[in-house]
Amino acid sequence: MTTPTTAAAIEIRGLIKDFTVGLRGVKLRAVDGLSLRIPEGQVFGLLGPNGSGKSTTIKIILGLLEPTLGECRVFGVPSHQVDSRLNVGYLPEAPYFYRYLSGTELVRFYARICGVPSERREARVREVIEWVGLAAAASRRVGTYSKGMLQRIGLAQALVHDPRLIILDEPTAGVDPVGSAEISELILRLKAQGKTVLITSHLLAQIEDICDHVAILDHGRLILEGRVAELVGQKNRQALIVDTLPPAELEALRAWLAERGHALSVEQPRARLDQLFLSKVSRPGNAGGKEGGA
Amino acid sequence: MNAPTRTGVPFSFGRLLVVAQNTFLEAVRQKLFALLLLLAIGLGASAQLFREFNFGSSELKFIADFGFGAMIFFGSTLTIAATAQLFFSEIENRTALTILAKPIWRTEFIFGKFLGVFAVVGVFCALTTLLLAGLLFARESALMEAHPEAFEHGRIIHYADVFVAGGLQWLKFGVLAAFTLLVASYSNTNLFTVIMGFFVLVVCHLQYLARDAYAQVASVPLRLLVRLLGYVFPNFQVFNVADQVGMGAGLNHLMALRIGGYGLAYIAIIGVLAVYSFRNREI
Ligand SMILES: Nc1ncnc2c1ncn2[C@@H]1O[C@H](COP(=O)(O)OP(=O)(O)OP(=O)(O)O)[C@@H](O)[C@H]1O
Ligand SMILES: [Mg+2]
Repeated sequence: MTTPTTAAAIEIRGLIKDFTVGLRGVKLRAVDGLSLRIPEGQVFGLLGPNGSGKSTTIKIILGLLEPTLGECRVFGVPSHQVDSRLNVGYLPEAPYFYRYLSGTELVRFYARICGVPSERREARVREVIEWVGLAAAASRRVGTYSKGMLQRIGLAQALVHDPRLIILDEPTAGVDPVGSAEISELILRLKAQGKTVLITSHLLAQIEDICDHVAILDHGRLILEGRVAELVGQKNRQALIVDTLPPAELEALRAWLAERGHALSVEQPRARLDQLFLSKVSRPGNAGGKEGGA
Repeated sequence: MNAPTRTGVPFSFGRLLVVAQNTFLEAVRQKLFALLLLLAIGLGASAQLFREFNFGSSELKFIADFGFGAMIFFGSTLTIAATAQLFFSEIENRTALTILAKPIWRTEFIFGKFLGVFAVVGVFCALTTLLLAGLLFARESALMEAHPEAFEHGRIIHYADVFVAGGLQWLKFGVLAAFTLLVASYSNTNLFTVIMGFFVLVVCHLQYLARDAYAQVASVPLRLLVRLLGYVFPNFQVFNVADQVGMGAGLNHLMALRIGGYGLAYIAIIGVLAVYSFRNREI
């Protein structure tokens, strides 16, 4: 007997999705026999090259597409049922929202659709907008937002009803390194609150930093899945970082290690470019700039 | 495995209204109403031209006919264009993705869209009807002064009927909007939807001709086909009661009520079909 709390956040079994493309009805298999289980509380990265079926999988999870075969459950509820989406927040890839609404109006609209009770609605809308760092631009029309700001407002609408599962399709596409570091931070905060996050991204360094688990798709097939630490960690190697040694001392160290059967490789450690960028660029408190009302 | 305990998501009229409100707001902010205002001004200005003709009380009938004619023409165009635009802006901008990923029934979405468009067209009908009634009233007053002998029994225009006739046009536009939405629910392009919308408009306006013409045709299958067409497409001519608002006994209100019911029934049936077709749509 399963109860909703023990059901996985997402459970996919034998999922196949065919698209009919072209006039002759040629079939294109976008997802090919995918099975995945994402337990609650995990940050799960779905990786893969362009066209490998990540977005298609996500749309099936959300009930926006019907699977050709196989089944998909969200918190134990089949994803074609409306109530499977009660606890899900979704940020689509390259989001584009009602451009004639202001940021606040947009988030309020989604809050009303999600049934956030009216007495809590305004406070919640303000809270999520502040959370994603758009407070300064909240009264501007969404049509005037930059790409990164659209991602942020998209994140706000995905979070407004405080869902247990958050699905982010390339949340950092088009976002600058500062912004994408902030989005990483946001995701880690969501994880700390016990939320489940499913994220796709082509920024593998970021995925590595925030995800517990990853799965890699290629041509719709699952080719690798596991814990990030286990997949990328080199268990039998260590890096020691020392001040620059004079050549003689380095040779002595190498000889000392060789006696004990260890190899030494010497490299100049480099700061990662993103870390350099983050340390040089001023971090604005709010991405919206100075214009716009409070 | 037992089914997980669920709260379930009941159909919510509130959510439907939120969608409708947003659709209406989009129309407002896209300056659709500025266009309407322009139309209204044009209508008023052209009515001024007819003052020169001065053909007595039959002039009033002319103004009424002209006014309703303009309302039907611009209203139909507006209905088809606004329905297609307000629906496809959701699909093309992929806002439909975000909204349908929320716990919302597609039924609520489609009927919300419909209600939003219906409200836009309603504002149009209200404005033009008001304008027309104002024009008629002003002209009638002027004529009463010039030719008191023609108005022995007081005013000849039944103003309440002008509004009833306007309301019936609104319902007719509602049927047209539902048809356009049905096409949009499976169509992939805005243009195709608009063209089909006009096609439906023409068929609905002219189907009575076909019915009359083919009533005498001997060929049974053809007669049945035309008969069937008559059931599938409503007869838009029945909504045109404008020629009864002017002279004579005025509008038969029972009749108007029945026409209203006819319109509502079509809206409901076509709306349900649109929902059914949209349910299977891949977003
Ligand atoms: N509506 C559709 N009709 C036909 N083919 C589609 C449709 N949607 C996706 N596809 C095809 O399915 C395959 C998978 O697409 P999908 O968008 O899921 O890839 P993705 O992994 O998200 O890629 P990206 O990293 O570029 O976002 C692609 O070959 C794509 O062309
Ligand atoms: Mg994608």
